[in-house]
Amino acid sequence: MKNKTFQSLTNPLAKNNPILVQILGICSALAVTTQLKPAFVMGLSVTAVCAFSNLVLSLLRNGIPDRIRIIVQLVVIAALVTIVNDILKAYVYDVSKQLSVYVGLIITNCIIMGRVEAFALSNKPLPSLLDGIGNGLGYGGVLVLIAFFRELLGSGSLFGYRIIPECLYEAGYVNNGLMLFPPSALIIVGVIIWVHRTANKDLQEK
Amino acid sequence: MEDRIMSKKQFLGGKNSNAYIVFYSTVMVVIVAIMLAFTSLSLKEKQNANILNEKKDAIVASLGLEKGSYDSMIEAYVVNKAGEVINTADSPLDKLFGLSASYAAGEYPVFENKTTGEVVFPVTGKGLWGDIWGYVALESDLNTIKGVIFDHAGETPGLGAEIATPKYQAQFPGQTIYEGDDMVGIYVVKGGAKGAAHSVDAVTGGTKTSEGLQNMIKDCLECYDNFMKLRKAPAAEETVTVNAE
Repeated sequence: MKNKTFQSLTNPLAKNNPILVQILGICSALAVTTQLKPAFVMGLSVTAVCAFSNLVLSLLRNGIPDRIRIIVQLVVIAALVTIVNDILKAYVYDVSKQLSVYVGLIITNCIIMGRVEAFALSNKPLPSLLDGIGNGLGYGGVLVLIAFFRELLGSGSLFGYRIIPECLYEAGYVNNGLMLFPPSALIIVGVIIWVHRTANKDLQEK
Repeated sequence: MEDRIMSKKQFLGGKNSNAYIVFYSTVMVVIVAIMLAFTSLSLKEKQNANILNEKKDAIVASLGLEKGSYDSMIEAYVVNKAGEVINTADSPLDKLFGLSASYAAGEYPVFENKTTGEVVFPVTGKGLWGDIWGYVALESDLNTIKGVIFDHAGETPGLGAEIATPKYQAQFPGQTIYEGDDMVGIYVVKGGAKGAAHSVDAVTGGTKTSEGLQNMIKDCLECYDNFMKLRKAPAAEETVTVNAE
């Protein structure tokens, strides 16, 4: 039992990663990964929303009328996202401007509704909370990985700090402009999925 | 836990009865509303401080000064249509939070660089989809543009939204807004300004936004016309006296 509870946290990190295996939440993964900082904050925001929506709805699961359960889920998720958005605006204003509409769009992020519907409504609060954290981190981890390559190759920096030395630029090195556009994220996601499948033979389709 | 569910089942006729659903939704909505109202109110002050900082930074950025130098460099006041400095209940910075209302009331905030006499006028107008706004900084001759900052609520990225890019705004410095004594503003010209006076290039594919930008600059700066003429007049007299000596 203990082991199973722990697995709900670790599984989504790799074996059952929301982006790499379930292919959920791709839209925001393409949109907010040009730089590491917004990708990082987005990952944290989704983790917070996913964890708390799972927890709250798992606590409420026995009282929710079946016929309006999707509406109840949406209200809880939307309320949490609004709170997260308000907190970002108050404490990391510049990042919240960069994320702009994507924070609001966490509401429609398939990962969160998917986890609530598939897991939280039929499991106890603790595993649900861990499942939410796991999925949020699994999502955020991939986002940060994509953003790492995009910022490094597209802008030559990481977290806004210049990494590629000036002398390389003088020698004729140029940043890859494609990395700043959404298609590059799709290519990087594709490569990561490829590597991931190669490492996990049981995920390969016949 | 089990007991509570049982009591709920008796209560209002069970979990899936209409009465229970109505009751459940009502309670849920009230709780969520209280929660959201509380968060929003408790964070409002901090959020407004951030927005105010952003506005201050935009003002100094239009003057080409460093971020955060607003408090040490800028003197702010409000003028009326006739160009006289007036006292208002709220500060010039507060006016930026409802700039179009402030314009409608005939109160126009001015931000002046204390050391050089360069002034910044906040401007506001309509783009294609929503509001556009910005700051126009003028050299101390009150004719040549020193720098501009524009921003928008929801113009199309890559098209109308280009007005918010430094590359687009770089066209403005050095342009003049007066033709003799007439305020002409800046023409935002379709197909390329090619060095014509008082003109910059329009945004390709952003015709409506460009028109909005042109109207915004003209309409808003016209409100400061008398203020600028008053400022120039004593300066002109001074030159005359100096010459007479």
